[in-house]
Amino acid sequence: MSDAPYNKALHDVTRRHFFKQCGVGLGSVALNSMLGNESAADSNLRNMGIFNGQGQKPAKALNVIFMFMAGGPSQLELFDYKPVLQKYNNQPIPQSYIEGKRFAFMDSFGNDGPPKLLGTVRDFKQYGDSGAWVSECLPHTAKIVDDISFLKTVATDVPNHAPAKIFMNTGSGQFGRPSMGSWINYGIGSESQELPGFVVLQSGPRGPRGGQPLWGSGFLPASHQGVPFRSQGDPILNLSTPENINQDEQRNVIDAVNQLNRNRLDVTGDGEIAARISSYEMAYRMQSSAPELMDISKESQATLDLYGVKEGEPSYAMNCLSARRMIERGVRFVQLYHTNWDHHGGNSENLSDKLDEVCHDVDQASAALVMDLKQRGLLENTLVIWGGEFGRTPMGEVRDTIGRNHHIDSSTMWMAGGGVKAGYTHGETDELGFSPVDKPVHVHDLHATILHLLGIDHEKLTYRFQGRDFRLTDVHGHVIEDLLV
Amino acid sequence: MYWALCLGLCILISPAGSADDYNNKVKPILSQHCFTCHGPDSKHREGELRLDVAPYDDDMASDRIKELFGSDHASSVIFERITAQDDDDRMPPSDKPALTEKEIGIIADWLDDGAPYSKHWAFIAPTKPAMPTLKQDDWPRTTLDRLVLATLESNDISPAPLATPETRLRRVYLDLIGILPTIEQVSSFVANPSEEAYTQVVDKLLASEHFGERWGRHWLDNARYADSNGYSIDGSRQIWPYRDWVINALNEDMPFDQFITEQLAGDLLPNATQDQRVATGFHRNTMINQEGGIDKEEFRIESIVDRVNTTGAVFLGLTMECAKCHDHKYDPLYQSEYYKLFAFYNNDDEIDIELPSPNQKARLKRIQKEIDALVPKRNAYKAEAIKEPLTAWVATVTEETLAKWNLKEKDAIATERSTWTDEQERLIQKRFLAADEKYQELENEIRSIEKKKPRLPKTMVLKKRPEARVTQLFEQGDFTRKAEVVTPGTPAVLHPYKGPENGSRLDLAHWLSSPENPLTARVMVNRYWQYLFGRGIVETENDFGYQGSLPTHPEVLDYLAAQFLDTGWSIKKIIREIVLSSTYQQSSHRRPELDVIDPKNYLLARQNRVRLDAEIIRDVSLSASDQLDTTIGGPGVYPPQPDGVLKLGQSSRAWNPDKGSDRHRRGMYTFFWRATPYPSLMVFDAPNAMVTCTRRSRSNTPLQALTLLNDQAFIEQAQALAERISSAPMATDEDKLHYAFMLCLGRAPEASEVLVLSNLLKKSSGDQTSAWFPVARTLLNLDEFITRE
Repeated sequence: MSDAPYNKALHDVTRRHFFKQCGVGLGSVALNSMLGNESAADSNLRNMGIFNGQGQKPAKALNVIFMFMAGGPSQLELFDYKPVLQKYNNQPIPQSYIEGKRFAFMDSFGNDGPPKLLGTVRDFKQYGDSGAWVSECLPHTAKIVDDISFLKTVATDVPNHAPAKIFMNTGSGQFGRPSMGSWINYGIGSESQELPGFVVLQSGPRGPRGGQPLWGSGFLPASHQGVPFRSQGDPILNLSTPENINQDEQRNVIDAVNQLNRNRLDVTGDGEIAARISSYEMAYRMQSSAPELMDISKESQATLDLYGVKEGEPSYAMNCLSARRMIERGVRFVQLYHTNWDHHGGNSENLSDKLDEVCHDVDQASAALVMDLKQRGLLENTLVIWGGEFGRTPMGEVRDTIGRNHHIDSSTMWMAGGGVKAGYTHGETDELGFSPVDKPVHVHDLHATILHLLGIDHEKLTYRFQGRDFRLTDVHGHVIEDLLV
Repeated sequence: MYWALCLGLCILISPAGSADDYNNKVKPILSQHCFTCHGPDSKHREGELRLDVAPYDDDMASDRIKELFGSDHASSVIFERITAQDDDDRMPPSDKPALTEKEIGIIADWLDDGAPYSKHWAFIAPTKPAMPTLKQDDWPRTTLDRLVLATLESNDISPAPLATPETRLRRVYLDLIGILPTIEQVSSFVANPSEEAYTQVVDKLLASEHFGERWGRHWLDNARYADSNGYSIDGSRQIWPYRDWVINALNEDMPFDQFITEQLAGDLLPNATQDQRVATGFHRNTMINQEGGIDKEEFRIESIVDRVNTTGAVFLGLTMECAKCHDHKYDPLYQSEYYKLFAFYNNDDEIDIELPSPNQKARLKRIQKEIDALVPKRNAYKAEAIKEPLTAWVATVTEETLAKWNLKEKDAIATERSTWTDEQERLIQKRFLAADEKYQELENEIRSIEKKKPRLPKTMVLKKRPEARVTQLFEQGDFTRKAEVVTPGTPAVLHPYKGPENGSRLDLAHWLSSPENPLTARVMVNRYWQYLFGRGIVETENDFGYQGSLPTHPEVLDYLAAQFLDTGWSIKKIIREIVLSSTYQQSSHRRPELDVIDPKNYLLARQNRVRLDAEIIRDVSLSASDQLDTTIGGPGVYPPQPDGVLKLGQSSRAWNPDKGSDRHRRGMYTFFWRATPYPSLMVFDAPNAMVTCTRRSRSNTPLQALTLLNDQAFIEQAQALAERISSAPMATDEDKLHYAFMLCLGRAPEASEVLVLSNLLKKSSGDQTSAWFPVARTLLNLDEFITRE
């Protein structure tokens, strides 16, 4: 056959691949769209400023690594230093603070009277030239404060884990919307021809509450959904050729499949077959590229030590290192989940030794990732985000020990690289750490900012579904200008 | 691009003279560019200008109408504003996409015509269209063919040739039952591919009990069926009896109005049967949040919201959910109407019911009788024993025994029996009876009979509450901000609701299935069309509102909708009419000569090649390898899947693959965990069951290749197929290749195809079965194998 119909056919379907044919990233989707290859009901990409010149923004970040501390880390034990809260430890919180507020566990603030304030027992110090406050829980993070920006006033809408995680990922508390990573890959594609554009890694004692929908593609094409990589066994499901089949045989089968598919393409002229042929080629390439990605034997001992990686031991540290390797290979969006940050005060999640445990799990490697990216010149183009689905209350919650309840009014996150200021703290909460008093940030603003840094106008990245142009930021969101370089 | 394409098409597909310019050309522009600020949503309306209804319907002052619309475009303020040079004056505002010249031209023409409005096409009840005169009069087999051909002829396009008998047979098997035809079935049809033979095949397939499975699975997408609760804990649930109900209802060809009524309100029918109550599982497929610390009322409301949204999308093809927080931005649907629909669903308890079979019922009765005979004897013994004998026994309790007792029990026994509280008496009696051999003997006898009671299947249903709840509108959709009280009702733009003020789900079901309803029949036949052509006549199958796509063949849609009612809502008759049509039986090969005028095949100048649904990919593999267990219905099953998938959610679970024939059941029976779904289903675009799915996307990714190449389930099927080929009674390898090809693709291979496979066979070694293994894998991986052509 001649190449022409093959290419035409391939061109028609190429958009729906998670591996773009051309590794140009920005603009590749746009190109197809301008050529009129969008299905009428499919998308509304024409509204995206990215390619029509309206509202085009230069991208600062090319990749994103989102370190998701699942459960809701306590900002009051880690970053948000509140001496007044300590002073009024065990005093009832003034009613004016909690009037009309919703908390997850209304009944476990204690039986006698209004909820009582809980001052932290953690020791806080100021670090770096920026003088950012960090507690004793995160000694390694303390060393990178001049490379990162803290957001002290991040608010969300929903006080329960699964809806709040979905909210942080999709901008809606209801299941069924596309996740951030899917939106981004849908909008600007992936740079990698051999790896998925959106990868999810997990560590901690269990998977995150919510599971697959957290990285699902909602109403966007399924090819944009996050692909979980596992730290043991096949990194991707069904990646390895089964044991009883040797590589030659695998290659022979793929060759035969592709040859017969090509015959059928000639007969039917259906471009989907061309896409299927390249899918098989890419699958074959992935069979070597994905294990190569996960094989850290060529990393120096110094690098392994920096992260605290022990070879052959799955861990958050290993995932951080893998995340760097992924963005080096063009993966657009990497999300790392680490579970058990839900410190209500029960025996398995308390604010003493159990908080120490999770902090120890993530502190060194989170800081190492920023340092490593910086020394390799990758931080400039990589947006690093650290945080959970919500914060925790200034009031204590009585369980086996005193812990803290879910809190939606404010939590602390940090961001680094990719066009974000270094050594900056954004916003401030009141003396008790309850509500923002300066520069409040909503999850929608966070999303708008992340998209902005990737060169996407959050109001213009839309998808037509059920007659409406949906956005990651719904009808909200403002770019946090003060945070930008 | 979107409207350019659509507008092009509208002109293309509207037969001369029948074009409704306002609906087809003008409203799409107004809706896209203007209605957000000048539409139904009164709270966000700008300049008190409303463009979605005719100005005289909106009580607009006549001089203002005159000013805005003018007598022609030159005298119209609207035209002045959309063509203003100054960014501050021009509409739409400069931060919104601008109107194209073509769009401005259409508005100008409309203004010149006196700006006529007409009712939205989908809100006018369908009637059967007039039959066109045709040139190629021998092509149509059915009425719908005449209508399709009229459009083709008006564009000077002839239809595609009839697909080969092999393709037509495989197509109709896959579309109607989702299982491959056998070699014998293929050969017999190819030998006599007459119209009569084809009709016989169609009728046989419609009568097959697998029809209910294939079409039931489509319906389960709408119903958001899953075997677990979703959210974080994602506990398992038992609602497969509802799935069985769907399969049976479709097999019986239950009229669609009854199908709706039983699912929405089966429990409210007079003398409701067990089956009718099971049917209400439709709206129990909503997710349940079992997370600690939640406000239960919040998630009860979430479920009802999902029921309203599902009702809108599935039955009405309307995006009701937009009106949860505010009046709809495009369609004339108001927030108060959203809560009127909500009110129908607000008076239920969500319960489980047990489902004993008649045999089980009889058995339970027998067992209970046996127990009832023994209980008095035990009770009589107990009544005596706890008097004197207990008091005597207290003195005999040793220190050693006491060591195992808890504090409360120790306290009790340390005091005189006369001083015991009721609780203490109860605790010691329990200890005493546990130590009394005679009592235990009597008790064990009863227990052993109890154990013979069968474990009964359960299912989740709706049950009307004795006391109705008061429904209030929620400001901004926020359940903590209750506003005015609303009573059950339906959107005013549609046919009138005639039920009582305290209407129930049954009244809603009657309203939905009323012959006056302009939407339900259209929406359903459109979806059947979508399942048979890969795309609906209205492409946006869940949005028949102002923002939805226009029907490519409005006459076909209306004809089928009217026909649906005429057949007494017979789903099978509608499907039969479509699959017997010439339109359906066309070849699906691309026609390069139409690449420019109609590259997406909106005109239906051929069939479409459609990749099979996730479950069907599994089914055809099992059917080619002769592994398929064709048992219908019952609880979910556990075919093999890669390790570790069930650790991706909060609750880490085991997945113990079935070892018996359940390992080879159809894909639709695979147990579906919402938080950690079966991966090979998801990789082929099965819906996630979080919300209703009325159209599946069809992606094409390397992960699909990895699944078919390496997944254990598919490897097992390839092995079975290899065995089937190697043990087949043919003398030569070439005959066996031919046989294998026929098994999988239902057609004889071309010489070039034989060559590829025989070369592959030559490269393999080992015993017969393992030599055929690469060939078997190749066939099961072919694009053609997982596609219905």
